Amino acid sequence: MTDPLHRTRQRLARDQAALLAALVAGGPVPRGFDPERLDAQRRALLAKRADGVVRVAPELALILGREFPGLFRAYARTRPLAAGPRRDALDFVGHLLTTGVPRDPRRRDLLAAWQTVMRAVMGASPSRAPGAARGSRRPAAVRIFRFFASLRAAPRSAKGT
Amino acid sequence: MRTDHLGMGLGWRPQLADAIPRLRPALDWVEVVAEAIDPTRLPAPLKQLRAHGTPVVPHGVGLGLGDAARPDLARLAALAARAEALDAPLVSEHLAFVRAGGPLTGTPRMEAGHLLPVPRTRDALDVVCANIRLAQQFLPVPLALENIAACLAWPHEEFSEGRFLAEVAERTGVRLVVDVANLHTNHVNLGQDPVRTLAEIPPEAIAYVHIAGGVEEDGIWYDTHAHPVPPPVLDLLAELCARSVPPGILLERDADFPAAAELGAELAAVRAVLRGNGGHD
Repeated sequence: MTDPLHRTRQRLARDQAALLAALVAGGPVPRGFDPERLDAQRRALLAKRADGVVRVAPELALILGREFPGLFRAYARTRPLAAGPRRDALDFVGHLLTTGVPRDPRRRDLLAAWQTVMRAVMGASPSRAPGAARGSRRPAAVRIFRFFASLRAAPRSAKGT
Repeated sequence: MRTDHLGMGLGWRPQLADAIPRLRPALDWVEVVAEAIDPTRLPAPLKQLRAHGTPVVPHGVGLGLGDAARPDLARLAALAARAEALDAPLVSEHLAFVRAGGPLTGTPRMEAGHLLPVPRTRDALDVVCANIRLAQQFLPVPLALENIAACLAWPHEEFSEGRFLAEVAERTGVRLVVDVANLHTNHVNLGQDPVRTLAEIPPEAIAYVHIAGGVEEDGIWYDTHAHPVPPPVLDLLAELCARSVPPGILLERDADFPAAAELGAELAAVRAVLRGNGGHD
């Protein structure tokens, strides 16, 4: 390493990693930071991240309803964003299904259906979806569509953020 | 293409694609979020704007020139490809760090998912300037960096925000995008003095100005880009223009998109401040 700034970069890297760990990975508040402001920044990052998930997967906010913010917060608190919002949404649903929340079987069924659709969609790129994958996606997509239709019949606050 | 004068601009978003052509001739240029477009398949409305000679400036959010690590060459190449595809007069990014961890710390990589403030220290200044020089060598057009809005401040800082921006610009020749809404956010949330920041920024370094709306709730300013630009932010624009008229101003609107007429009125209000007769009461 011939970078004359290597040691300077290492010092800065250590400080930035400690701050980011506190903000997105449940790490301790680094010395000298105002815990209240750090918490405000942490919540701002979390809101931004949740917005990203709702943008790419608005149906999750519909399926989870008022529970969406709390469930997403619990998931994200110790799991730093690793890639884009699509991957984040898929990981979030995987986490929900593994940990058994929400308990409502109808919602879990919809989440599992959503997971099937998203895995097929994400797995299908870059080569476009083969017929087999499309066939297996249809029942899940139909169930999600029916769920939206039932929501429209009984309207309530849909946005989860 | 001239790089010294941009005029009145608006952030191009897919939801505004229909309204934007109707806003000409009051609209001189647009800015597009660099990561949101594919340079090999530009959206048709952007191509049409280019065909009409409207400048389009790519605005990156994910480069992380304030990261401790050197800028990623693939991300730099992606930004350069967008500048070339759009025949852009310049590109802009943020003075921020967006990821940490990795080889320098021997810990897993973490993404912030948004822009975080760089500690305003001599160490960080050296690193940021080295990163900017690398980016400048790589990019085909001039680079401009924007001041960010933050919720927190680093302890033991050695520069004010304005002094840090001035040092960065002086050392590297990088241009600045001064976001007056971000200055207002840092004023409300962190108690920074926005007029002092403006006084410390060298006017000749300013490439253009960002302006946007937000909302105050319980003493916290939310830089939403979803509300009309409020009087205190227009006042900061007037303060900046009184020192030196910037080469360009760009209005950002990212949600709750208003009708074209309402956007046109907001552009006119901003332009009035630029001309020195923006007398809101």
